[in-house]
Amino acid sequence: MLNNKALVFGCGLLIFIVACALLAPWISPHDPYFQDLTNRTVPPFWYEKGSWLHPLGTDQLGRDYLSRLIYGARISLLIGISVAIISGLIGTTMGMLAGYFGGRIDMAVSFLVTTRLSMPVILVALATVALVGSSLWIVIMVLGLLKWDRFAVVMRSATQQVRSMEYVSAAQSAGASTLRIMLTEVLPNVMPHLIVIATLEAASAILLEAALSFLGLGVQPPLPSWGLMISEAKSYMFFSFWLIAIPGTALAVLIFSINLAGDGLHQALTPGERA
Amino acid sequence: MTIDSNEIVLDVQGLTVDIKTPRGVLHVVRDISLQVKRGETLCIVGESGCGKSITSLSMMGLLPKTATRNSRVFNFLGEDIARADKRRINDLRGNRMAMIFQEPMTALNPAYTIGDQLTEHYRHHKHASAEQARVRAVALLEKVGIASAAERLGQYPHQLSGGLRQRVMIAMALMCGPELLIADEPSTALDVTIQAQILRLLADLQAELGIAMVLITHDLGVVARIANRVAVMYAGQIVEEGLTKDIFAAPQHPYTQGLISCIPIPGRTIPGGKLGTIPGVVPSLIGEIKGCAFKDRCSSAQERCSGDIPLRHTAHGQQWRCILEHQEVAA
Amino acid sequence: MLGYISKRLGLAVLVAMTVSIIAYMLLYLSGDPALAIAGEGARQADIDMVRKTYGFDQPIIVQFGNWVLKLISGDLGTSIYFKTDVGPLIFSKLVTTMLLALYALAFALVISVPLGVIAAIYKNSWIDRLCLAVAVVGQAMPNFFFALILIMLFSISWRMLPVSGSDTWQHFVMPAITLGYYAAPAFMRLIRAGMIEVLEADYIRTARAKGLPTRTVVFKHALRNAIVPVVALAAVQLGFLLGGSIVIETIFALDGLGYLAYQSITHKDFPVTQVIVLLLSVIYILLTLASDIANAWLDPRIRVA
Repeated sequence: MLNNKALVFGCGLLIFIVACALLAPWISPHDPYFQDLTNRTVPPFWYEKGSWLHPLGTDQLGRDYLSRLIYGARISLLIGISVAIISGLIGTTMGMLAGYFGGRIDMAVSFLVTTRLSMPVILVALATVALVGSSLWIVIMVLGLLKWDRFAVVMRSATQQVRSMEYVSAAQSAGASTLRIMLTEVLPNVMPHLIVIATLEAASAILLEAALSFLGLGVQPPLPSWGLMISEAKSYMFFSFWLIAIPGTALAVLIFSINLAGDGLHQALTPGERA
Repeated sequence: MTIDSNEIVLDVQGLTVDIKTPRGVLHVVRDISLQVKRGETLCIVGESGCGKSITSLSMMGLLPKTATRNSRVFNFLGEDIARADKRRINDLRGNRMAMIFQEPMTALNPAYTIGDQLTEHYRHHKHASAEQARVRAVALLEKVGIASAAERLGQYPHQLSGGLRQRVMIAMALMCGPELLIADEPSTALDVTIQAQILRLLADLQAELGIAMVLITHDLGVVARIANRVAVMYAGQIVEEGLTKDIFAAPQHPYTQGLISCIPIPGRTIPGGKLGTIPGVVPSLIGEIKGCAFKDRCSSAQERCSGDIPLRHTAHGQQWRCILEHQEVAA
Repeated sequence: MLGYISKRLGLAVLVAMTVSIIAYMLLYLSGDPALAIAGEGARQADIDMVRKTYGFDQPIIVQFGNWVLKLISGDLGTSIYFKTDVGPLIFSKLVTTMLLALYALAFALVISVPLGVIAAIYKNSWIDRLCLAVAVVGQAMPNFFFALILIMLFSISWRMLPVSGSDTWQHFVMPAITLGYYAAPAFMRLIRAGMIEVLEADYIRTARAKGLPTRTVVFKHALRNAIVPVVALAAVQLGFLLGGSIVIETIFALDGLGYLAYQSITHKDFPVTQVIVLLLSVIYILLTLASDIANAWLDPRIRVA
């Protein structure tokens, strides 16, 4: 397992980010919401005018950027995990039901998936948030209720494969109830696929939230969502490029680590994919 | 099956092929030599895994990237093709030397018509026009016994049966008028009745066109039907070689004797009698094999078999690698 | 083949109908649409007038029915914000967005096909790993961030391309690149996987045995078979590109459907929003249908059954 470079590197990076997010109150040099208008747009320490007081500089309202970055990780991770869980629950249930029972249930689920796929997520999410109101939890709910399609599709085919295995027929003939079979026989065996999809959907959710916040219809200020930070810094972009570069790079690194870990997981769980 | 000239079309001496695997280096072909003359059919016969397919692929230069090939002599019509560059090999392939494979169902590209696949290499090698190629394709399809040849050109592979596809493969191989045809188990994947037809077709074509043919098979029945000469392969080596009639009448190597005893031969095998078996398994091809590879399964094995094995021959040209000398074998 | 098409068409119609219901229902997400339109702090009389004008006082089924009937007869409603008919408003922008999506798709394919083929031929070598690394990095970058970087480089530093507007083809370059690069890795992986599988096939060995030059073997024989799933993906991706154009168009102020969607959503312009959601969904459904048909047609085994 440790030979799997993608897994090791990806997970390592991810764990580092998670740790930073969890330890935010202790490792942030300043309060991410504290505005110091006398110290606006101070550049990071590697610039001439920068200093170690604000290692990554300050934004247009004088807030310490490093602190905002670290707290922003919390938001992104929270979004990623929550959306993955919600959409995972919905999609996995639908997929497993469709794959296990087949027939009409399968047709119904497939129809729902096709319908959901026909609708552009970001458009519907935007419209919903605009109408219902925008906040962190609304974004999570909306994305969670929209992004279950991949789970449904993959869990359906994984369940179909597992269903034809002998240990399922064995359990059936032993008289186990359907729910019991699904939970004890099917679920553990489709778990690898579930985890891989969950990582992909988490990454996608993080990017979606960043895009929504960037457009002003996601997390609201003064929360330090990385997407929102980029949006707020847009007009200062030309003179203070780091204001968008830092959160942008952070997003890229986070997504990269999640994708890498997911890739590594996929390789580890399906041997023979790529040497 | 007449031999009308003595020109040697393919001359291979000391061919070895090694394949790198995660478990080690597989010595798949270990120092074999063979020659094929014009108008002659040489059959290479052996069980699965003896290296006969790899031998045929190495003749065409179609070995996988993990394989390394070495030889003392590797001449095609007198030209050294071991040292030939990629362009020269491509010039010869499909043009002067052609190959047909075992699985006709998958050997043709499902996305293109029969006509397209028949003519593309002809147009490439001979710089022919589409019309010229079409005419030749129709002629060859008729020659291999396919009716409504012109219509077939517009059809796709999935519209043809296995036997028809193999005939198309043969026509395809003959398009550029090659001097050497290599056939890797051409009839194995087909129904028994079709097998006989394909083999007859190959024999007839060879007689008419005078091409040299190397036919790989595991089936001694095929050998008896079509081969002038036969080379018996075991564990990467040719253990016996000679004229078909000599080999069947008086096989010298214990392995060959074992093979022949395994098949019922009309007129020779006593009804109700026992068919022979060869006990044991083929040795691993990883690492060096000292002496004779067959010694663990041979009923005549002695201590000498672990040392150098002499190459024996008769005046007729029959050769075998064994410590045993020539025997007049009882029926 | 004809039976296949009619079955898929039937399903498409069903999905479109369902989507139209959902699109209409979006209106009710805010609770009381009359309140949303009238705005917060509006007087009760104003709210009631809005309700009557837009017909919100009628049962939902009736409202939906009216909407559908109007759609079919060509009346797409009136924009609250722009105060013009929705129909002409949308279709003028649709062309822009379709162009953008096509350019983006073209860009994605132009970089992903060669990379995928090369990665497959040199499987597991450093070239392969490099291509995959490019793919992974490409997918990690948020598209709006990438857009800003491009603007910094091409508009500010090098002054080669315009930042916003949609008048000339140059206005489409950066948006197309930004929109397309995200789709490229998916194509690249698909082509790589497809090529690797196809290159192992028996018919490739036959092609090589015929002495055909390598480029013929790779492009005529291998790619032709490996590309089939790519066509299906291309149609699907085109649908996603259309949806994803919202963010890109807004950044570049490209006057297309996405930008219009953003404007109408932020101004709570229901009639426009509903029609856009429905329109994009229908386009996506048609694209999926087209891709299924193209798939079937590309495989002679289905076409000439």
